[in-house]
Amino acid sequence: MQVFVEGVGMTKVERHYEKGLSHLAAEAAFKALDEAGGPGGVDYIVVANALATLQDEQLDLGGYLATSLGLRGVRALTIEAGEASGLAAAQVAASLIESGMADKVLLVGVEKITEFPSSKAYRHLQMIYDSESRSYYNVGFAADAAMLMRLYMETYGVDRELLSYWPALMHNNAKENPYAMLNFAIKPDRVSKALVIAEPLTLLDTFPLGDGAAAIVLSSKDSSSKPMAKITAIESATGLGSIELSDDPLIIDSVAEAYKRLSSLTGVDRFDFIELHDSFTITALLILESIGVAPKGKAAEMVAQGSFSPTGPGPVANPSGGLKARGHPIGATGVYQLAEASLQVAGKFPGVQVRGAKRGLVISMNGLGSNSFVALVEGV
Amino acid sequence: MAEIARIWGWHPEQYKGLAVDEKAVAGPDEDSLTMGYEAARNAIARAQVRPREIEAVFFGTESKPYAVKPSATIIAEALGITPMTMASDLEFACRAASEGMRALTGMVSSGLIKYGLVIGSDTAQANPGDVLEFTAASGAAAFVIGPEKGAAAIIEDSVTFVTDTPDFWRRSGEPYPLHGEGFTGEPAYFYHIESAVKALFEKTGLRPSDFKYAIFHQPNGKFPVKVGQDLGFTLDQLKEGLVTPMIGNTYNASALIGFAKVLDKAKPGDRILLAPFGSGAGSDAYSILVTEAIEAKRLLAPTVEQYLTRKVKVDYGFYAKSREIIYVIK
Amino acid sequence: MSMELSIPRFWRFKHSIYRLQAARCRSCGRVHYPPKNACPYCGSRDLEPIELPKRGKLVSYTTVYAVPEGSRQYSPIYVGLIDLGLAKVVAELTDIVDPSQLRKGVEMEAVLRKARVDRDAGLIYYVLKFRPAMGVPDVQA
Repeated sequence: MQVFVEGVGMTKVERHYEKGLSHLAAEAAFKALDEAGGPGGVDYIVVANALATLQDEQLDLGGYLATSLGLRGVRALTIEAGEASGLAAAQVAASLIESGMADKVLLVGVEKITEFPSSKAYRHLQMIYDSESRSYYNVGFAADAAMLMRLYMETYGVDRELLSYWPALMHNNAKENPYAMLNFAIKPDRVSKALVIAEPLTLLDTFPLGDGAAAIVLSSKDSSSKPMAKITAIESATGLGSIELSDDPLIIDSVAEAYKRLSSLTGVDRFDFIELHDSFTITALLILESIGVAPKGKAAEMVAQGSFSPTGPGPVANPSGGLKARGHPIGATGVYQLAEASLQVAGKFPGVQVRGAKRGLVISMNGLGSNSFVALVEGV
Repeated sequence: MAEIARIWGWHPEQYKGLAVDEKAVAGPDEDSLTMGYEAARNAIARAQVRPREIEAVFFGTESKPYAVKPSATIIAEALGITPMTMASDLEFACRAASEGMRALTGMVSSGLIKYGLVIGSDTAQANPGDVLEFTAASGAAAFVIGPEKGAAAIIEDSVTFVTDTPDFWRRSGEPYPLHGEGFTGEPAYFYHIESAVKALFEKTGLRPSDFKYAIFHQPNGKFPVKVGQDLGFTLDQLKEGLVTPMIGNTYNASALIGFAKVLDKAKPGDRILLAPFGSGAGSDAYSILVTEAIEAKRLLAPTVEQYLTRKVKVDYGFYAKSREIIYVIK
Repeated sequence: MSMELSIPRFWRFKHSIYRLQAARCRSCGRVHYPPKNACPYCGSRDLEPIELPKRGKLVSYTTVYAVPEGSRQYSPIYVGLIDLGLAKVVAELTDIVDPSQLRKGVEMEAVLRKARVDRDAGLIYYVLKFRPAMGVPDVQA
C-alpha cells in the first residue's frame, strides 16, 4: 500500500459544549488541509462517526460536512464501526487511493458525546455491544470490561494494584500532549481509590467522555508533495466480540487475526510504538497479549516494570496518552491515533516524542472485538 | 412494624393489635407478575406436567402491572404454556385467585380442560401513613388444578358466598385503596367467611373436628384466629396455616400461601378447610383431602418455610423506593 | 406521548428473553445464545432451536454504578457471566443483598423480573435475570 499523509489536524478532546459536529470537524479539517497545501484536489471526504444520529439527530454526516467545509460537490462517505469507526474510515480512504478511485482524500473523524447527561451517553455506549444480547438489560458500557478484568485477575493471579500502572502511564504521557483531555499525572495507587464505575473497574480505568475531531489528508504517491508519513497497510477482522461466546475471552480473536493479516501482508513484526485501543485498562492488556507483544497474563507486570514506557525497551505504548487520557471521542478516535502516529514518525509529535520513531502500529477495535483494525504507519 | 411506626409516628400499641411482626415487600424489579411467575414455576414442577398440557391460566390480583393488558398471557408465554390456552386476569380484591380456582375445578371436572393454572399474587399498596400500611405486603402462590389421578390433594367440595358489601375498594386511577375501618370486620370479613364455611358444613355434613387444618384469609394475625375459633376450630388446627404474622397480608396469596405451607406438612388422609375472602365482598370455602401423592411432590420445589427464612431486613427508605411510593419523574 | 422502546423488537425476541431459547448447530454441535442466522463457530446455517437450562454457575460478575438512563431505581446493577453448561450467557443478576454473595462458582438460577420500563405509560419489559439459587426448578416448554 502506498498512501501518504500530507497533513493532519486535531482538536483538543474536551466537553466542547460550545462547538457542534461541523465546527469541530472544521477546526481539524482546515488545519489538515492547510498543511497539505489547501483544499484543492480533494476527491473524497470520508467521515468517521458513530453517534451523530443519537446525539445530534444527523444522518449522512459526510454529505453535509462536505458543503459545510467548503467542499460542495466532493464525493462523500460516512463510515461507522462503533469505536473502530476511525480506522474503518481510514481503511476505506486508503482503499480509494490504492484502487485509483481517488488521488486525495480528506479523512475526518468527529464525534460529540456530551449533548446529553452521562446516563444517556451510557445507554448509547451500551450499543457498542451486541444489541440482541445486551439491549434488553441495563448493563451500561463497562460491565463487560469489568467482568473481563475480574477474569484476568483471577485467571492469572494478578492483583488489582498491578493493573493500575497502565492508567498511570497513560496520564504521564498525556500530560505532555496539548490535545489530550486529561493533562494531569496520577500515581498508580490512586486508581483503585477512584469512583467505582463497574466493580472492580474505576473511573481511572476507563476513558473520559469527551468530544473531538481529527483529520488527515491522504494522497496517492503521484499526488503527494510533502508527505510526513505513509500508511503501509491497514487490515481488519471481525470477531465474536463477546465474553460469553468466546472460549478464551482473554484473547481478542479479531485483534489477533487482524494483526496476523497485517504481519503476513507486510512481513513486519517490530515497531517503535503502538497507539492502541485502551478503552479500559483491561482492553489495553488484552490487546498487548493478543498480538503477542506480551505473553499471556504478563502484560500488567510488563507495564508495571516500564517495558512500554517512553524510556523502556519498547515498543512504546500510547505516547499520546491513549484513550484513557488523551480521550476517546468514539468514532473519531481511530483518526486521532493515525494522526498521532503520523506525527510520531515525522518527529513532530507535540507531546511525548518517541526518539527515532520510524514505524508505528495503530490498533482500534469496537467493544470487545466485534470488529478490529490494525494499521502500520511508517516514516518517509 | 416498628420501622413503619417510627416514620409515621404511630405508638407501638396502635399496631400491636394487628399481631404482625414484619411484612414482605417486593424488590425494585419485582411486581405481582414476576412473583406469580416464580410461584407458577414451582407449581408446574410439582404438578409434573409439561406446560403445554395446561389449558387455562388465571391470574388473580388487585395489583396488576397494567390496568388493561393481561398479565396472564405474559406468564403463560414465559412458562411455555401458550398458545393453546385460556388466559385472564381476575379481580375480586383478595379472593380473585380463589374464584379462579373454583372456575378451574369446574372446567377440569367437565372435561373442558385437563390442567389449569391459578395464581394469586399481589404487591399490596396502602396510602402511606394509613394503618393498612402495616400489613399491605407482597407475595404469590400458585396451583395446578387437574384430574384426580396423580393429584396431591382432592377438592372434595366447595362453595362461594358473595354479597354487595363495600368494605374496601380502590377507584379507577387512584393509587391507593380506601376502607371502612370497622366496617371491614363483622359485616364483611366475618360474615362472609362464616356464611361460606357454614354453608359448606351444611352441604357436606362435615364439622370442624373432621379437619386437621383450617386456613382463612389473613389480613392480620388476629382475624383468622377469631373467625376460626368462632367457627369451632382450635388453635392447633389454625396455627400451621397462619403466615401473616411473618409476612403481612399478601392479599390474593394470603390464604393460599397458608394453604401451601400446610401442604408442605400435611399427611395423606388429612382434611383441610380453606376459606379465602375478598372485599366487596365474598368468601369461598373448600374441603380438601390430601392424598398419597403429596409426599413425592413436596421436594420438587422450595417449601414455604424456605421462602420465609430467606429474608433480608430493609428500611422504610428502601421499601418506599422499591414500591415506588416516592414520586420520581420518569 | 411517545414510546422510547420498540415494541416489536422485544416482542419478536420473547422466546429468547423469557425462556433462554438458544440455537444448536447441527454441523458442529455447538450451542450459542441468542440465536444467530448461522453458527458463529463454524458458519453453518443448519441450526435448530434449543432451550437452555435455567440454572448454572457464576463465572464472572460486576456491580455497575454507572447505570444507563432509565435504570436508576435498580442501581447498583449486578451483571454476571453464567455457565449454563450448553452455553454461557451474560445477564443481569438480581436478589443480591450483599455483593460478597457473588463468587466464582456460585450456583445461580433464572427468574423473570422487570428490566426496562418505558416511562409512565409505555410497556414493561420482563427478562430472565439470575440470582443465587434457592432451588426453583427448571420448567422446560
